Amino acid sequence: MESTTNPASLSYSAEATLTKAPVVQATAVLDPALHLEACAEALEQSLKRSAQCPAGFPDACPDAPSDAMVREISNDSIGFKAELQIFLSTFFTIFLAEVGDKTQLTVLLMSAESQSPWVVFLGAGAALISTSLFGVLLGRWLSTQLSPKTLETSAGLLLLGISLMLGWEFFNSLA
Amino acid sequence: MNWHLLSLSFAMVFVSELGDKSQLAAIALGGSTRSMRAVFLGTAVALLLASFLGVILGGSAAQVLPTRWVKAIAAIGFAVMGVRLLLSARESDLPET
Repeated sequence: MESTTNPASLSYSAEATLTKAPVVQATAVLDPALHLEACAEALEQSLKRSAQCPAGFPDACPDAPSDAMVREISNDSIGFKAELQIFLSTFFTIFLAEVGDKTQLTVLLMSAESQSPWVVFLGAGAALISTSLFGVLLGRWLSTQLSPKTLETSAGLLLLGISLMLGWEFFNSLA
Repeated sequence: MNWHLLSLSFAMVFVSELGDKSQLAAIALGGSTRSMRAVFLGTAVALLLASFLGVILGGSAAQVLPTRWVKAIAAIGFAVMGVRLLLSARESDLPET
């Protein structure tokens, strides 16, 4: 009997694959009743898991059972898409904040005054990479010292503070 | 290679960047993110590109980019990330259902 041609079992299999639910046992596929039962169980498990998703990372839901658990696991387990999303959001906000900032102006002036702008870029680039590395490592160290809740609250307030600083510069430039 | 100019530009940028808002952002994001690597790469590439543009455009950078509005967009971006983290902190406080 070809149970895989049954439309109901096909859609259940697709659902289970999409939500990364445990793979339905091959033996169950031979018996439609067993198959449906196994699929319903898998679906229920994946629904339970997606209910625990952390707020703010909807795209990473199937991969992210809980924030605390994810912190325990290495970076590689969060998936390329989630990582790319973090990279892009970091990149765009920092880049936009940094355009026209004093660091960029320093580099601009120094390269204009000197005869070798690429040496200035090399020095500035090395400095920027090391300050951002220090920043990220300091944040990482703080995350081992504070509770997740304290950490998220203070990081959120810090980002809001940066937002206010930028907003202040914006309104000052209007005047 | 002009080592004097190299070390001078390194020192100047390093000092002016210490405790600056992009480093504060790197601290905040690096501690609360699930991928430290992505935050580091994002920060470093953004800073490199910004200073690269400074070198390329020279004095004309201010005319090419509407700095004021770029800053406003960045302010909104940081506010969104901050609120997200605060909401996530509040959520973890709620009892499990």
